[in-house]
Amino acid sequence: MTSGSAAPVDLASTRDASARTEDVSGRADPQRVLADRVEQLYGQMPLGMAAHLLIGGIATYELWDERTRDLVLFWWGLVLLVTAARAVLYFGYRASASKLVEAEQWMRWLAISALASGVTWGFAGAVFFPSHTDEQQVFLAFLLAGVASAGIPAYAASWPMFAMYAGVIVLPFTYVLANFGNRLFTEIAVLVPIFYLINVGIAYRLNRVFLSGYRLRHAYDRLTEDHTRLNKQLEQQIEDLQEARQEVEASGRKLALFAERAPISVIEMDANSTILEMNPAAEHMLGYSALELIGRSALSTLFPADEATLTPEWWAQFVARRLPANRVRARCLRRDDLEIEVEFTITPLVNEAGDLVSIIAQCQDITQQLEAERLKKEFTSTLSHELRTPLTSIIGSLQLVNSGVVGDASGEISELATVAERNAQRLLDLINDLLDIDKIESGKFTLVPESVRLADLVQESLILNKSFADRYRVGLEVRGDVPDVRLHVDRKRLMQVMTNLLSNAAKFSPEGSAIEVNTRCADAMVRVEISDRGPGIPDDFRSRIFTRFAQADSTTTRHKGGTGLGLAICKRLIELMNGRIGFDNRPGGGTTFHFELPVLVDAVST
Amino acid sequence: MPDRPLLKICYVEDDDDIQRVARLSLERVGKMEVSIIGDPTIALDAILAFKPDLVLLDWMMPVMDGPTLFKRMRETEGLRDMPVVFLTAKASQRELDELRGMGAAGVLSKPFSPKDLPEQLRAIWRALP
Repeated sequence: MTSGSAAPVDLASTRDASARTEDVSGRADPQRVLADRVEQLYGQMPLGMAAHLLIGGIATYELWDERTRDLVLFWWGLVLLVTAARAVLYFGYRASASKLVEAEQWMRWLAISALASGVTWGFAGAVFFPSHTDEQQVFLAFLLAGVASAGIPAYAASWPMFAMYAGVIVLPFTYVLANFGNRLFTEIAVLVPIFYLINVGIAYRLNRVFLSGYRLRHAYDRLTEDHTRLNKQLEQQIEDLQEARQEVEASGRKLALFAERAPISVIEMDANSTILEMNPAAEHMLGYSALELIGRSALSTLFPADEATLTPEWWAQFVARRLPANRVRARCLRRDDLEIEVEFTITPLVNEAGDLVSIIAQCQDITQQLEAERLKKEFTSTLSHELRTPLTSIIGSLQLVNSGVVGDASGEISELATVAERNAQRLLDLINDLLDIDKIESGKFTLVPESVRLADLVQESLILNKSFADRYRVGLEVRGDVPDVRLHVDRKRLMQVMTNLLSNAAKFSPEGSAIEVNTRCADAMVRVEISDRGPGIPDDFRSRIFTRFAQADSTTTRHKGGTGLGLAICKRLIELMNGRIGFDNRPGGGTTFHFELPVLVDAVST
Repeated sequence: MPDRPLLKICYVEDDDDIQRVARLSLERVGKMEVSIIGDPTIALDAILAFKPDLVLLDWMMPVMDGPTLFKRMRETEGLRDMPVVFLTAKASQRELDELRGMGAAGVLSKPFSPKDLPEQLRAIWRALP
């Protein structure tokens, strides 16, 4: 029973093993095997050449007699020539750099050399055998048998080469023997080819042994190579894994540190809003210790019953949609029952399989921030009213005085009243600018856009600013035709920008010069340029000209007035209207301020 | 546009100085007949007694503010259709829109220019239906 079942197993494993060997030999590179064979064959050459010379020398000495002197000398010359040629071939091969690539060519050269070497012996047999004495014939037969069989180990790596070499030695000799007319020689002539065939057979078998040896060697080399490479890969992978693990550990520590030391509260919850973890900032914000809250429901613990935003319904929807929720404001109950306003950023952590792993809420107590905003708003509104009310009386009274409605004032009184009015007006401008910039920067500024004709805007701005320009004895001119386009802008605010740029230009223009207004249209944008012949913008001021309270130097404020807010407001207003504002030095002196605004496409030329 | 010129104006304003400036402006520059009311709580009766063409209202006043007074006027027989113009130091666009939405004939901002005030009021007057 046992042996019966064991037998097939053994057979199978033997088959496997042989199949493996086959497989392994098959992996050897044929070109490399060929090169190895060539190397082996050339390796035999020095011995072959030495033997050739030695045996050739002895034969020449033995066969020497007066009758055949010329023929023997010729043969000796042939032996020397062939050996010299083979030596050249041998050294040529040794010096070659292309042994592997041109292995086939070297093999061919060697075959020719083997043939030549064989021919010298064949020649000796065919020519000297009939012409010499019986003893010398025995010598020749012995010599030929020797050199022919010596070819077997010499050409073991290529049996066809041996067959060729031995063939040209044996065949002419056989022919001579067969035609000698001697019964003994005829019998030997029959035996020689048989010996020859047996020798070729042996060479063939030897050749195969060599071949499989070479193949195995190369296959083994290749296996070793593969193995080394695989080992290296494995080492690299292990190294990478190690590094990756260290990175993960490091980022984990970093993350923990972030949460631990962050000023923002971080709370981790599961899908049921059960608190899993929280950082010290969250403990501080809520007045609970983490131990008290972990395991409890955030929804039912942290929010007052009448909370309207972060309700269980909201939470259910959030969990279902699994999308991050930003800036969710809700009221929270602290441990001491104090209510605080909290802004939440809630992010679901979803793994690759799409499962909700946990929910991270980052939150910030914004109670004080909201209170500050409310106070600021109240303050701004009050400031606006409380400052304007006295200014209304001041400016109104001075205007009445200056316009002569209440009777003519004498020279100096009138002069002082004008100064007072101008400065009261400046104070009002400053208040208005401050309120504007506050509104724009707090994002509470809303434009009232309407469709406006560019030509009307330009015309109106010139009329509005004419009296101001007159005061500085500066002209206002529109150059060329104003493109007939409409803009979608806040008319009042764009007029504010124009007034700002025109009055700035007027303030800095030399008396008697003119401010030029140029307009043109390109790429669905309209460009308005306001150019003066003033002193230009100082280099060190160029970069901060559009910042708040920017003025080239403090003396300017005294001489020219202005709040230093005008250009900052202009820039923000133009940007709110999707435009750009900038300035350039004007060729020939002065400055050009320009802004670009998108043309209202629907209503071009209407 | 009403078929008569704007002649009589009632101004409800709690600030004495602004009262004086406005009176000078409307009387001297605008050649109008002016009644100034400093206490908004008695304003309804005073306006009814004076019978102005147009009422000018301040927004921020103690006890009763402009918009409240405006609502009272709309509920009072004889004052329901009287044109009302607000004169306010409040500057926000939202607040101005709010006033127009309540049915005010116009909104002018403080500080006003006494030279231009009468003409501004006449412009509003001419734009009335």
